[in-house]
Amino acid sequence: MNISLFAGAILNGLVTGMLYALMGVGLSLILGLLNIPNFAHGVLYAIGAYVMVSTVKTFGFLAGALAALVAVAVLGAGIEALGVRRLSRVHPDYILLLTFGLSLILTEAIILVWGPVGITSQPPPLLAGSVDLGVTVYPKYRLAVMIVTAALVAVCYLVVTRTRYGAIIRAGIEDKDMAAALGINIRRVFTLTFAAGAGLAALGGALMAPVRGLQPTMGLDILPFAFVVVVLGGLGSLPGAILAGLLVGVVQSLMTAIWAPGADASVFALMTLGIIARPQGLLGHR
Amino acid sequence: MIRPLGRLLLLVAAIALLPLFVRPVVAAEIWIFSIAAMALNLIFGYTGMLSFGQATFFGLAAYTAGLMMIHWHAPLLVVLAAGTLVGAVAAAAIGYVCIQRVGTYFIMLTFGFNQMFYFIAYKWTSLTGGDDGLPGIPRPPLALGPLAVGLDSSLRYYVFVAAIFLLAFYAMKRIVDSPLGIIFQSIRENPGRAAAVGYDVKRYKWLAFTIAGGFTGLAGVLYSMMFGIVPLEAISWIISGDIVFMVLIGGIGNLYGPLLGAAAFKWLSEAVSVVWERWPLILGVALVLVVLFLRGGLVEALTRLREAVGGAPPRREPRQGAPVGVAAESEAGP
Amino acid sequence: MTGDVLLRTERLTCDFGAVRAVNGVSLSVARGKLHSLIGPNGSGKTTLFNLIAGEIRPSEGRVYFDGDDVTGFPSHRLPHRGLARCFQRTNVFPKLTVHDNVWGAAFSRRRPGALGFLRRASEFSDVEADVERILGEVGLAHKRSAPAETLSHGQQRALEVGVTLASSPRLLLLDEPTQGLAPEATQQMTRLVQRLVGRYTILLIEHKMRIVMSISDRISVMAFGELIAEGTPDQVRDNPDVQRAYLGGRR
Repeated sequence: MNISLFAGAILNGLVTGMLYALMGVGLSLILGLLNIPNFAHGVLYAIGAYVMVSTVKTFGFLAGALAALVAVAVLGAGIEALGVRRLSRVHPDYILLLTFGLSLILTEAIILVWGPVGITSQPPPLLAGSVDLGVTVYPKYRLAVMIVTAALVAVCYLVVTRTRYGAIIRAGIEDKDMAAALGINIRRVFTLTFAAGAGLAALGGALMAPVRGLQPTMGLDILPFAFVVVVLGGLGSLPGAILAGLLVGVVQSLMTAIWAPGADASVFALMTLGIIARPQGLLGHR
Repeated sequence: MIRPLGRLLLLVAAIALLPLFVRPVVAAEIWIFSIAAMALNLIFGYTGMLSFGQATFFGLAAYTAGLMMIHWHAPLLVVLAAGTLVGAVAAAAIGYVCIQRVGTYFIMLTFGFNQMFYFIAYKWTSLTGGDDGLPGIPRPPLALGPLAVGLDSSLRYYVFVAAIFLLAFYAMKRIVDSPLGIIFQSIRENPGRAAAVGYDVKRYKWLAFTIAGGFTGLAGVLYSMMFGIVPLEAISWIISGDIVFMVLIGGIGNLYGPLLGAAAFKWLSEAVSVVWERWPLILGVALVLVVLFLRGGLVEALTRLREAVGGAPPRREPRQGAPVGVAAESEAGP
Repeated sequence: MTGDVLLRTERLTCDFGAVRAVNGVSLSVARGKLHSLIGPNGSGKTTLFNLIAGEIRPSEGRVYFDGDDVTGFPSHRLPHRGLARCFQRTNVFPKLTVHDNVWGAAFSRRRPGALGFLRRASEFSDVEADVERILGEVGLAHKRSAPAETLSHGQQRALEVGVTLASSPRLLLLDEPTQGLAPEATQQMTRLVQRLVGRYTILLIEHKMRIVMSISDRISVMAFGELIAEGTPDQVRDNPDVQRAYLGGRR
């Protein structure tokens, strides 16, 4: 494999990796606070992409991304307030099943609204074309996505670790009842956090739409990888999710270049090795 | 509830009469998936571990059986044994890793492993046929010594499947009635205390998972001969999810719940998918409704119906030794 | 060291990060005696139980049970050695019947072999007999078919003790069995504990001083994670360090 191909694969890996990190961060927030693997996380990513594509034709790229973010965040808030919250007193497995049921419903909804056939999406004209990086030529848009997603992830990290809201989230993750007892409106925090996680997934979908294209099953396709990222990174660890996301993205991309059929399976092999070698995840606590 | 002998008779009657109401093919699928659903019920309803990856064992056994029959013309009973073994061994290996973690982590690991095998099956087209599935699987005759019974007609295959199901049901009942039943439930109720009274919780969880893998493998083998093809779907999370539905919709922790769930699921999917392609939407809605409003599943619904009709006060104190699982949530008094 | 010491801890220490919850506790419990462990809230008594019973690994120190080093044994191995503990917050199997709650614990030390597991649980008549005996002992025979979560608090505490007895231990670690009980139930529980003395060796955590003083053979006092006094009830009652720990110097 020549250097150009290798560089391309690494860059692709970083792009995908950043997406995975973004998905992992959103999923980690929800997992940490609500203690449920959000099976709807993938379909929220998908809806983000579809909303973007529908909006972008009339209102432009930025508006499209914003619409995706807002629409899905609202959807996420609704899911939490109307569904998840009702089950908070019951075994957490039921919340998981709720999100699973929702993922089916929403995937079918996508098919009903946008049809069963895949759609392609174009990057904004400003970012079309490629740039010569010396070692290889790479699409401008992908570089932009990589940078923007990295920025988003960084912002998330800063919000969670440096702001008061973030402290509340972390407190809620540690001990919900105590946080509530301290007068924090824990319900509102839950809803906001779920909405935020959903919004992040949607943004990921919106930004990646020109790169990956859209199919109704895209949510269900990406979900297992998001899970691997969170499991590998360590439950409840945001830096872990970021690190794991990048790792998974790069490994998958390299494998695609070396031996494409094994690319996806290698991700899960990585997860298995990770769990065996380090059960709490790369940067996990317990 | 109905007395045990009564329930057993109802079951046998249901088996005998089912082909009158649905096509033998659908009826056979109901019993096949009942086996898989019973297996999940053992680890979820009784032991408290939600596995979202049972299709791994279903599919691995189905592919193994299919390949053995295609390439080696393996006899029927050998294939049944092999599939069950494959399911159990795979579950032992995968279970060993997954059981190191609990709850959410465990679920995601089972899901992850399922995906891994799915991708392997998808890409390894020379072995599995990939997206097209593994076709050309024969249906060997049932050979018992000098006697050989052909199973080519759907009705004959149904009878065979029903017989295997009854054996599997009996085996499951014996497991649940044995000390393992109480041990598994104790682990579900309070794993810390189960350890404190002397049980190596991880080992028993692993045992439950392995046993369930074996049963699920058996179901997979029966499935492979159902249509003569193993579709890729057999190892996908779709089947994993279907099995979870069946257990949930039927009623968790109750020995008969999975059967009701499998029946309801298959019948519903047949009925709806003929009319509307968007059958998963109905399924999703059903799941959401059950999760929000009827967590005890059909078992709970029937119990409530019986109370409403019979007027008798609900039994607050279940029989000793009876599985009091999540399904009995509504029965335990204030 | 066997002889008449059944349980011995040697400089047992436990750190939770920067907090030293238990600091160098060495105590011995004599066979067949009722040895109480008292001290103000937060003095590390339950943590000490957790260290002995394998719920937490000690940072330093050793635990010896009947002469064998059982330090760091996972909790599920200890009942097989003859050590069982009950919990301060009722820790039973909520949706199982009272009968099944005890049955599981009673069965745990059996080694029926693979074939044995093929028998129905109800066919183990020896286990059944044990269960009946224990239910009678703790006064719950009439509730055998009730799900544990439907019991009153007092009945649940009794069940808690019953489950602890079921694995036929030699040493009982009882963590506040009378916790939250009304006066009459407290008396019943106290009488139950007294009936157990002699047949079992008991290490008891208890806050109700009158009970402790009247039924204990020996008392150890903990404060801030350390053992500050030990002796007979009279010795402990008159010990100024103990008074200071509880009352802050005032009488």
